[in-house]
Amino acid sequence: MNRATLTLLALLLICSLSLVAAQQRARKLFVAQERAQIEERKLNQDFLRLEYEQRNLSKSARIRDVARNQLRMSPISPERTLYLKEAK
Amino acid sequence: MRPVGFSTTPNLVLRLPMWRSRLMLFLLFFVFMMLLLRAFWIQGPGNEFYEAKGVRGTQRELELPASRGKILDRNGQVIATSLEAKSVIAYNDTVPDDLSADKVKKLASLLKMSEAELRKKLKEERKQVFLKRQVEPAIAQQIKQLEIPGIGLNNEYRRFYPEGEAMAHVVGFTNVEDRGQEGMELSREKELAGHPGQRRVVVDRLGRVVEEMAILQLPQNGKDLNLSIDSKIQYLAYNAVKDAVEKHHAKAGGAVVLDTQTGEILALANYPSYNPNDRKNLTGEQLRNRVLTDTFEPGSTMKPLTVAIALEKGSVKPETNMVIGAKYLVGPKPITDTHLYGNLTVSEIIQKSSNIGTAKIAMNSLSSEEMWDFYTAVGLGQAPKIGFPGAVGGTVHPFKKWMPTDQARIAFGYGISASLFQVARAYTVFARDGELVPLTIERSPNFKSGTRVLSAKTAIEMRAMLETVTEPGGTAIKAQAEGFRVGGKTGTAHKLVGKGYGNKYRAYFAGLAPISAPRIVVAVMIDEPTNGSHYGGDVAAPVFSTIVSETLNTLNVLPDNKMKQMVLQDKNPEEVRTANLQTQQVVLKR
Repeated sequence: MNRATLTLLALLLICSLSLVAAQQRARKLFVAQERAQIEERKLNQDFLRLEYEQRNLSKSARIRDVARNQLRMSPISPERTLYLKEAK
Repeated sequence: MRPVGFSTTPNLVLRLPMWRSRLMLFLLFFVFMMLLLRAFWIQGPGNEFYEAKGVRGTQRELELPASRGKILDRNGQVIATSLEAKSVIAYNDTVPDDLSADKVKKLASLLKMSEAELRKKLKEERKQVFLKRQVEPAIAQQIKQLEIPGIGLNNEYRRFYPEGEAMAHVVGFTNVEDRGQEGMELSREKELAGHPGQRRVVVDRLGRVVEEMAILQLPQNGKDLNLSIDSKIQYLAYNAVKDAVEKHHAKAGGAVVLDTQTGEILALANYPSYNPNDRKNLTGEQLRNRVLTDTFEPGSTMKPLTVAIALEKGSVKPETNMVIGAKYLVGPKPITDTHLYGNLTVSEIIQKSSNIGTAKIAMNSLSSEEMWDFYTAVGLGQAPKIGFPGAVGGTVHPFKKWMPTDQARIAFGYGISASLFQVARAYTVFARDGELVPLTIERSPNFKSGTRVLSAKTAIEMRAMLETVTEPGGTAIKAQAEGFRVGGKTGTAHKLVGKGYGNKYRAYFAGLAPISAPRIVVAVMIDEPTNGSHYGGDVAAPVFSTIVSETLNTLNVLPDNKMKQMVLQDKNPEEVRTANLQTQQVVLKR
């Protein structure tokens, strides 16, 4: 075997090893991406849930109830409202 | 003599025939050739079967979930949203028969069913049984922690409606499969529905996804839908109708609020209603969207339309004097009024709601064709095209079939039918100086130009007449709204029972506000009020008043009328003085 053959053999070996390593890395990254996607979906769902809860807490029925019963407020009416006109 | 060695004695020489070794050689060669061929076959042309087997072991097709679009009100508030939920499935051939009583008890309590019921489900013949659908994720997690073999969880979505009863008829609801069944959920199913995708992946020995081969189909989330409804106005309209129905022991009620500038439907309320979050009660009468699907004889709410045609034609003026009298005979049955009037002006005919007066105007100065043309032009007899399931058009018979008695009665709203929504739409003509506005239930806050059906002069004259209805001497003083000039028309229609009119009524009020620059049209209907008066002016007008003042406040519309100090009247003078001082300070600070 001459030197050229040996060099080529070594190169082949390095290439094969790096291919295996690259594949391994690709899989790892893919798994990480999958995990991130699941996390993204979960966060999305959490957002929707929080948005729903916020809506539930801020809906007219609840505000009216709290304002009337807990804060003892009465509805606004035009006779107690001041309407300010912009000066021309 | 040749010496013969021990080992080479000729007697011991084995003479094997050559063909035997050749045969062996050939056989060995043949077998190896066969193996080689087989190996070639397996790896070459005949490898489909093995490849499929390999793929089955390592590749899977997974669904990419897609969610249903949200429904939002005009301010971007959520009125329908899909949240992830789980369905609990039992694979009955895997669930052990000797499952501990403790686990069964825990599972039953988590699923909110009795132990007996759960055991019955677990013993069913079918391999796969849904124990419960649309379970909340937190409870599903607890079920998972019980680690019962053969109990699995599947992903699905559940629809939530934060506004509940108040918005039920507008939004509708979906079924367990997340498909629209009623309301906007049904009519906009195509846009709202999500389409799940699919992908092919490689899994490892433990079933974990390690590589994605291909996305077979991209998932498509449903589009969000922005409605023109304002949840605040909807809520207050719903409550006003509900209170009136309860107060008057009525069968049902409905109200619609329209924005005259943009043609948007701000509220569409019905009572009785249902809670779309609770799947048990999603059947029966309560599902009816009466504002759009029930037609009725509009009664006196038609009078302004009839008078408007005569005004437009120039046959009468608001101040034209007319002889009314006790009876007006057209056909076999005389037309009468609730009160006896001698002479009335055209404006007073509207203010007092005189049947005879309206019938006389129609018979003396209008042809049936002119009336039919106008009623059709303002949308009567045609289903409104707002993309709502079940919206009806009512009936306006062809004018050629009208007998004189029909013409006289149609003039004041009998022998014709329309939904409350159609009446409200027709009234936009008065609010918009003679233009009929195209209506929409989707948010589109730009000014819309309409179709002209009356001159602006006639519309303004009609508005002035409608205002007199709510003033002293009119039929609907209770329609007055604090701070705003309002106008409208009452209606009290006998309900058709079988072939004739029974002792049941419908009370209406349709009107607009503020009169100086109309912003909203509101129509209210209370069906079969039984407690106290059944007149539109007593039953429906107060609902109109509440809805108008609260809606205009919500929309920040400037009052166009003087205000009385009504609320502070009951307080002692010192309190009033302090309150006035405080308000003055507010002005100064600004």
